Parts: sequence; structure tokens; C-alpha cells
Amino acid sequence: MKPQKNISLIIGLAIPFLMIVLVAASIYLPGLFAPQPTVNFLYVTDDNYYQGHAYVVEQGKLTKREVKYPEHFTPGVTRFFVHDVSANDSKEVSFGEAQQLHLDANVKSSDGYEVVYGSAEYGFFPLLFSGDRDHNSMYLKGHSASKKLKLQTLNDGRYYYSRDRARFLGWIR
Amino acid sequence: MNKEELLKHVRSLAAQHLITRDEVTAAFDAGTSGGSDDQEVTHQTGISHILYYVGGAVVFLGIAVLIWQHWSALGSATKILSTLGSGIAAYVAATFLIRSERLETASRAFYFISALVMPLGLHVTFDVAGLDTGSHGVQSLVSGILLMTFLLSYFVYRKTVFTIFNVIFGTWLFFSFTDLLVGSNPNFNWEFSAYRVLCTGLVYALLGHYFTQTSQRALTGALYGFGVFLFLGAALALGDWKPNQNGFWELVFPGLVFGVMFLSVYLKSKAFLTFGSIYLMVYILKITAEYFADSLGWPLALVLTGLGLIAIGYLHLNLKKKYLS
Repeated sequence: MKPQKNISLIIGLAIPFLMIVLVAASIYLPGLFAPQPTVNFLYVTDDNYYQGHAYVVEQGKLTKREVKYPEHFTPGVTRFFVHDVSANDSKEVSFGEAQQLHLDANVKSSDGYEVVYGSAEYGFFPLLFSGDRDHNSMYLKGHSASKKLKLQTLNDGRYYYSRDRARFLGWIR
Repeated sequence: MNKEELLKHVRSLAAQHLITRDEVTAAFDAGTSGGSDDQEVTHQTGISHILYYVGGAVVFLGIAVLIWQHWSALGSATKILSTLGSGIAAYVAATFLIRSERLETASRAFYFISALVMPLGLHVTFDVAGLDTGSHGVQSLVSGILLMTFLLSYFVYRKTVFTIFNVIFGTWLFFSFTDLLVGSNPNFNWEFSAYRVLCTGLVYALLGHYFTQTSQRALTGALYGFGVFLFLGAALALGDWKPNQNGFWELVFPGLVFGVMFLSVYLKSKAFLTFGSIYLMVYILKITAEYFADSLGWPLALVLTGLGLIAIGYLHLNLKKKYLS
């Protein structure tokens, strides 16, 4: 095979490989150079009724608000978790224990990370969503890197989106 | 294809020892002896080729409907046997048929059936094995298996039909594997899909150009068409819409379109010229609606757009008459 004659074939086959390498590098390389996250955070599961939330952070403390549910509606059991970012593991705490924590409700932590929802997956055809079951997972994002979080999200089939299953409350000071 | 191109192609094939002097003179003699009969035969052959592929598609539909209607009643082995088994059987049958020159066209129809049924069979098999067939991992596995199968078949038989399947399964693998890598990573949004489509279009056009120098020249037109359609479509989409517009892509797009239109002359491709003209019209409509509808007023913007479209139509016809007919 003469290289000049086959230059279009060589470039044509190289483009997808190059793109795969670039995509892999852009996913894995920033993680190697980004500083390790150090600030743990508190999150809540099953605290969602028509976008209304019973638990919020006010003046650095977790507080409970009154939410009026209809008579026939039984709210789920709300649970609180502290997520250890270095171990990527969650530990359940009671409402009382969560109230003792000093919380920072800012989106970004003091070490430059934020908890974000994953982007929708577009699949083979850009207009179709993929069949993956972890639709809209949650990530710790910062310093050009992102790390998938292993959260204790409720997945009993009632909520399709993870944003309805688990909600970030605040960084623990 | 004009005379110069045909002679150039014959020279290229002769240089590669893919054609002999006797074959060329025999074809010439056949043409001078009975032209109208040959045209009739070619026409009938074309229809029979189409019928082969329609038949193949109907066979695939039959198997798919059978599985769909009796999904709960069929056992695992029957499901796999009727889908993957049929796909493999069609492939084996085609491999026997391809050995006879007379039955080569029929073999292509059987390869077509196997290329349609084997993905279904692999999905059914993985589903029976308890895997999530919608996941990117399984999608990559299915497309990877199919690509390997038809890539090896191409290296053994060197038939154009395998190249078509390889392009399709290769594209599928590229999308599913990059999806597997990215998942729902928040750093990748819809623009990532647009860039993938852009790359796919570029690859198709480059492959089309490569095939002009080979005996698979028949694929060039389709690859140019799909390639330029995907490439310009993705570039236009990347420009997005006010207030989220991407200045780089909105500015670069006219350059790309004119590049494609002038490449159409160099490559003698009607697809490049047609899609270039269509996308330029779409771009003018988009930019007018996006930026000038409010400032100039909608009626004046429409007038200017109309004049722009007439100019593109004139350019399109001129280029086509002068260089491509």
C-alpha cells in the first residue's frame, strides 16, 4: 500500500481512534492532576413532593419546614447521609445528628468541588436516550475532573431521575 | 461517469492487474454488437437485485415479528436458535453460494439477511444471558462482534457488500464505545454527540474519496452524500441558537459550506454541491431569523433571505452545468 495513495483511508480510520483516545484522556487525565477532594457533604433522600422540600439549610443548620401534603398522600421515609468524599462512601445519620452539623449551603465547597447531576445520555442516535438504568447519576466535579459518586439513592421505581431521589444539602465545615 | 473518468478508472484497474486486455475488448465488442438488449438485461438485473434485498428484509421482518409475538411462549433455546441461529445459517448459506459466480448476487442477499438478523440474535442471546441489552457495554459488544465478523469476511472474499456492513457496524461501535467511556459524565453534553457526528461525516467523505481509487467506487456516491450531510449538519447544530450561540461555529460554517461546494468541482461530486447549497440556504435562513428578524424587521429579512436563496440557486446551477454535467 502506497501511503500517498491511501492517505484518505489512513486519515479516515485514524479519526475515530484519535477521538476515542482524546475522550478517554479528557476523562481520566484531569483526575490524576486534580487535588483530592477533602470536604464531606450531607444529602437527603426521598424529600420531594412536587419540587417542594421539607428539609433545607438555614444559617448553617439543617431545619425542617412544614409541607402540606394532601390527605391521601403518604410521604416516604426521609433519610440523611454524610458522604465521605475521600472514600466515596456514605454513612446514614439521624435527623438529630444531622442538625448538629455545621453546614455550608454554597454550591461549591471550599476546596473547589461541587455536587452535580450527570448529563443525559444521548446514545447512538443523538435524539434518543440510552437504555442505561443509572440515568442522571451524581458526580463530584471540580478542577476539570469529575468523579461518579456512590450515593445511597432511593431506587424503588417511584423516581426516574436521581435529582428526585437524592438531594445535596450542604458541605460539612 | 464521463469518458475521461472511465478511461482513467480502466488505467487504474489495469495498473493494479484487476482487469485484463481481453476483458476490456470483450466489453467493448459486446457494447457495439447489441446495445438495446444489454440495456434491457441491465434493467432486469437491477430489478432482480432490488428484489433480492427486499426479500432479505422481509425474511428479517418475519423473524422479528415471530419473536415479538411469541416472546413469552418461546423457550430460551428456541429464541436464540430462531434469531442468532437463523443469522448464522444465512451467513453459512451465503458463504456456499458465493463460491459459484452464477449465484453471487443471491449470496449477497443472504449476507444481507445475516447482517440484519445477527444483531437481533445477539441481542436476544445477551438478554437470555441476563445482560441489559440497552447498556453501552452490550451495545459495544454486539457491534464489535459484528464488525469483527464482517471485517474478517471482507479480508477473505473482498466483496463490496462487506464494506457496507463494516461502515455501518463500525459507526455503531464508535458511538456505543464512546458512550461507554463517557456515560453520564457532566463534562460531556449534547455537543459531544454533535462532534461525533461531525467526525463520522468526515470519515465517510474520506472513505468515499479512498474508494474512488479502488474497485469499490460504487460506494463513493453514497459515502460522499451521507458524509457531507452529517458533517455540515453537525457543524450547523454546533453553532446553536441565540443566546447560546457558539460564535466560532457560526463564523466558520460559511467557510465550510463554500469549501464543500468548491470541493464538489474537484471531486466531481453532485452530493457535495447539492448538500452544500442546501446547507447554505438553511444557514442564511437561520442567521436571518436569529439576528436580523428583530433589527431589520421580518418582511425585509425575508426579502434579503429570498435574494440570498436565488443567488445560491444560481451558483448551484452554474457549477453543476459547468463542471459536473
